[in-house]
Amino acid sequence: MTPLVPDVVAQTNAHFFTDQQMTTLRRLSEILLPPLNGYPGATTAGTPEFLDFLIGVSPLDRQQMYQSGLDRLNTEAKQHFGVTFAEIQPTQADQLLRPWLKTWMADHPPTEPYAHFINIAHSDIRTATINSQAWSEADNAAGQHEPDVGLFWFPIEPDIYRENPAPACRPTPQKRHS
Amino acid sequence: MTQVQRVQNHMAEETVDVLIIGSGHSGGMAAKVLTEKGISCLMLNAGPIADARKDTELKPAYALPFRGFKQPGQLPHVFQSNEFNANTWVDEQEVPYTYDPQKPYNWVRVRLFGGRSLFWSRQSFRLSDYEFKGKSHDGFGDDWPISLADLDPYYSRVEAIFRVRGRAEGLPQYPDGNFVPDDSPWTGCMQRFIAAGKQAGVPVCKARSSMGVDGLASSVNLLLPDAFATGKLKAIPNVVVRELSADKNTGLVNEVHFVDRLSRREMSVRARVVVLAAGTLESTRLLLNSKLANYSGVMGHYLIDQVYGPGIVCSVPEARDGKATPELMGGNALVPRFRNINTKEKNFIRGYALNVSSSTRPMDPRNFAAYGEDLQKKLDSYSGSGFSTSIMAEVLAHYEHQVSIDKSVVDAWGIPVLHIDTKYTDNEFNMARDAVDTSVALAEAAGFEVLSKNYEPNPPGYSIHELGTCRMGDNPKTSVLNKWSQSHDIKNLFVVDGSSFVSSGWQNPTMTIVALAMRASEYLAEQMRQRSV
Repeated sequence: MTPLVPDVVAQTNAHFFTDQQMTTLRRLSEILLPPLNGYPGATTAGTPEFLDFLIGVSPLDRQQMYQSGLDRLNTEAKQHFGVTFAEIQPTQADQLLRPWLKTWMADHPPTEPYAHFINIAHSDIRTATINSQAWSEADNAAGQHEPDVGLFWFPIEPDIYRENPAPACRPTPQKRHS
Repeated sequence: MTQVQRVQNHMAEETVDVLIIGSGHSGGMAAKVLTEKGISCLMLNAGPIADARKDTELKPAYALPFRGFKQPGQLPHVFQSNEFNANTWVDEQEVPYTYDPQKPYNWVRVRLFGGRSLFWSRQSFRLSDYEFKGKSHDGFGDDWPISLADLDPYYSRVEAIFRVRGRAEGLPQYPDGNFVPDDSPWTGCMQRFIAAGKQAGVPVCKARSSMGVDGLASSVNLLLPDAFATGKLKAIPNVVVRELSADKNTGLVNEVHFVDRLSRREMSVRARVVVLAAGTLESTRLLLNSKLANYSGVMGHYLIDQVYGPGIVCSVPEARDGKATPELMGGNALVPRFRNINTKEKNFIRGYALNVSSSTRPMDPRNFAAYGEDLQKKLDSYSGSGFSTSIMAEVLAHYEHQVSIDKSVVDAWGIPVLHIDTKYTDNEFNMARDAVDTSVALAEAAGFEVLSKNYEPNPPGYSIHELGTCRMGDNPKTSVLNKWSQSHDIKNLFVVDGSSFVSSGWQNPTMTIVALAMRASEYLAEQMRQRSV
């Protein structure tokens, strides 16, 4: 049997962000990482839905950073251009994003809260996309014969009495986004 | 009495000669030295034995549950962790620790058999007398009770075991050692950086690294096999030591109480001598929980580590747009401490080193304030042109920087945890600033484009070089251990890991830890031969 990852055939159903936040995140992902040079863009790779899942089980401070950041993006789009962020044109989005982009080194992202969100979200969108099945398929198609793999360590004699901690936020399966 | 009863009684009464707690570099060296001198040892280790053949698998990131992101909420203080290696670190929820939220601390631990020796960076340096005799040099803190001359023969033997590759530089702050010669040529970008350094009076040297054997420089492949080959070492994994107890009459340590990690069965074993090698803060935690060996009152104090994090990322313009070559790019170097050697800085004492490296790999996108197609064009252009520096800096030892027991929190086995109370001071922040500014100046003088810089130290503990808290000294009122890593108070107790350090230096402490463990173990063996211990 050749095991598949579910992303090959299935979509991720988003449950954490509000409808508005989700459409903002999708547009942000499209703009920050569009399809390029035969590689999938963030939306093709299922990145917005994957991030909805990831942030949905993340600690509160990360959730709040994303929620307030996406809300602010949307507010600024309406204030400056009279449209939601989901409807924004690339040149308009550039005016909202570029002032906040910074150079930074590992473990030291910008500390100003909104710059923190923009730069972290950019990094997360890239990571989720580059680490996707779709990206790996594009690598193969481009003739990258060395698979991008890492050495994964399984749990080693795990503690049998271990009480698993509750997740930071339980997903709510009854909420579905379009 | 039946045969079984006779065996059971014998087992219950058996007293081991030397009980070693911990299987990392220091415990491994103690086991090797003592068993080779004919002394029977029992080694206890808190975690399981790892076997890369059965415990690992090559996987793409997309096949992991979180696509390579760390599992949310897991190992928040281990910045070095990722989804691939998460199961190798001590879980912070199983073995928690506490700290004031205003003073964060990253305590990074491995309890697999072999400890952190399985995964260390291999950088291999000697301390110099600028570290051993820091107080004599600048008046701060305390001198070690030993000097480079005392440790020199042990360094040489350790460097031979670990096969340290290096080049003699003739600098007193970067002592030469017993090296496998590094005759590798410098790449072009490194030569430019060296030239810039020369103009500024900054030495740029070959780095030094343990080659080990078969890709590993660990206790489990370099030290423990020799100990097992003597037939005098027994080792037990998966046992968590709860506390030591001492004889009420003699005051000597005589029993070790531990719990089976998996079954939770409580057990104990008697020992003539105990060698603690659980890693700096775990050794101290055990002694504090046992309420032993702290007549001086300084146990837990003078916690130190090293500043990591600040540095710069540059691009070598001549290597862009596909023009990078192996002659121009690649390689690494080490700038040893150059501050406060023959000069006196205005706003910090002691010094730092710089790791210098050049990469022919793609650049990290965080070096460009760009996105989408614009970012991709930059990544394509700059790929293969990377050059970076990063700091390793001494942290000053202060009495107030300390660990203690937090009785209100226990770990998964009911053992009270450590409370860690420390922070960096102006000395560390000023050193970090100087390191980054110096790096920028040298890089620009070499004709490189500086892309990113970071002045901010990583949290204390990030370096995984926590040291001190059972410091050595000649005075039993101001130190926990004597110069042989032996407790001043309890003659049959030795602490051979990094907790004995008096100052941190900038140097990766492994060579010094292993050399001290070798020296202490040879002293212990001789004391046992003379029946003094």
